Amino acid sequence: MTTPHIIREFDEAMDRLRDQVLGMAGQTQLNLERAMDALLTRNIDLSKVVIADDNDVDELEREIDSLGMDVLLRFHPVASDLRVVITSMKVSSNLERISDHAVNIAKRAKKMSKRAELPETQWLEPVYTLALQGLRRSMQAYTDRNSELGLSLDTQDKELDRIHKKVIANLSALLEEGGERSEDFLHLIFVARSLERIGDLAVNIGEDAVFLDLARDVRHEKNREDILSPDTQEPGEDAS
Amino acid sequence: MPRKDFIAIDNFSFSYGAAKVLHGINMDIPEKQVTALIGPSGCGKSTLLRNMNRMNDLIEGVQHEGDIRLDGKSLYDPNVEVISLRKRVGMVFQKYNPFAKTIYENVVFSLRVAGRNKRSELDDVVERTLRSAALWDEVKDRLHTSAFGLSGGQQQRLCIARAIANQPEILLMDEPCAALDPTATLRIEDLIRDLKEQFTIVIVTHNMEQASRCSDLTAFLYMGELVEYDRTLKVFETPKEERTEAYISGRFS
Repeated sequence: MTTPHIIREFDEAMDRLRDQVLGMAGQTQLNLERAMDALLTRNIDLSKVVIADDNDVDELEREIDSLGMDVLLRFHPVASDLRVVITSMKVSSNLERISDHAVNIAKRAKKMSKRAELPETQWLEPVYTLALQGLRRSMQAYTDRNSELGLSLDTQDKELDRIHKKVIANLSALLEEGGERSEDFLHLIFVARSLERIGDLAVNIGEDAVFLDLARDVRHEKNREDILSPDTQEPGEDAS
Repeated sequence: MPRKDFIAIDNFSFSYGAAKVLHGINMDIPEKQVTALIGPSGCGKSTLLRNMNRMNDLIEGVQHEGDIRLDGKSLYDPNVEVISLRKRVGMVFQKYNPFAKTIYENVVFSLRVAGRNKRSELDDVVERTLRSAALWDEVKDRLHTSAFGLSGGQQQRLCIARAIANQPEILLMDEPCAALDPTATLRIEDLIRDLKEQFTIVIVTHNMEQASRCSDLTAFLYMGELVEYDRTLKVFETPKEERTEAYISGRFS
């Protein structure tokens, strides 16, 4: 909504909240990109940067929660303003978990970089591509209040799950064969698992974007095809 | 089964002389629910409320079109006696206004006016009514002292007791907490939630949090028009009209 609030401080607080979430999303995405770059290029220094930068993401999560509480307490927002506050706090929680997964990847990258190069690491690239795309699209859906894009993340995540399963099956087969690289295969399985979880968390953010746009809670809904149909949007009970 | 159109407002317009302040209002107010009327000053919400017991009849030069029906019968039917109507529709005002009498006499005032003076009946009414108004425990030992000795919040609850002593069907409240502190306000809100078991309540309020806390339905009026009327949660979570969202969000110029 572009009409300014009667209390200027409210608009300033809401702007600050949005900026903090976008800043946190940027840092989280950077952490993920750097973690995977560290893994794929065997860059120990980059792994260390990701591990250190996670503190910034944690701090941003705390700031967003504090700012959200402050807005709720002082201004009692309603309707779409209330959804902005609630959604921002939920998105920041999902971003923090994504950043934690980036740190897990970076830690494994650091360990693997000390050992001989493993060609199978490249198998994770398609999983990573989809996870990163999910994160970007989910934040786009949140920023633009685009429920259509928010809902589409679930479909995309199914493709990520499919590739993830295939990669896990192949890595598990190698792991069962045993040998001196077993520990590295195990690292890759956990990295793949983190990427798959990042996809799930992006779906959560997409659902938050739908709530922001339509005030509709689509979590755990199986049939999402009809959600955007005007007949099924947020059934408001008639007053009379 | 509570009636959904207990108060049926049908294409109702109202003017003070040449100034038309309500424009074709249509809304059905359900029985034994709390309905809040919200909107900026001058939007017509108090005028609409006061028409529900024809209080505006007292003002010279007023005119109306359309109808308001109470339980299916027009308030403007020539056979309706305003005195009888007001027995069915109690009213509580913004500024608590107990009479310069004892607490007891304030409660039984309308009964005495109606010629009901039997002591045992009056005693029963006083206890029952003050209990309903959540005031009995605080005043039972000083019923025959002046009402002015009560705190502001207690005086307002006494006015509510006075309004419901005659067992009206409807309770109209015009900003009943505007002159009260936060604690007294919350007590009245709590009382409103209890009273809806017995009465149909219509409340005018400028306090958005109060409307969202204690009403089942909310109507937003603007410049004499009914902009939106729906379940309160719906109005405050996902209003249909942009003007409603702008008003409740504080973005109204």
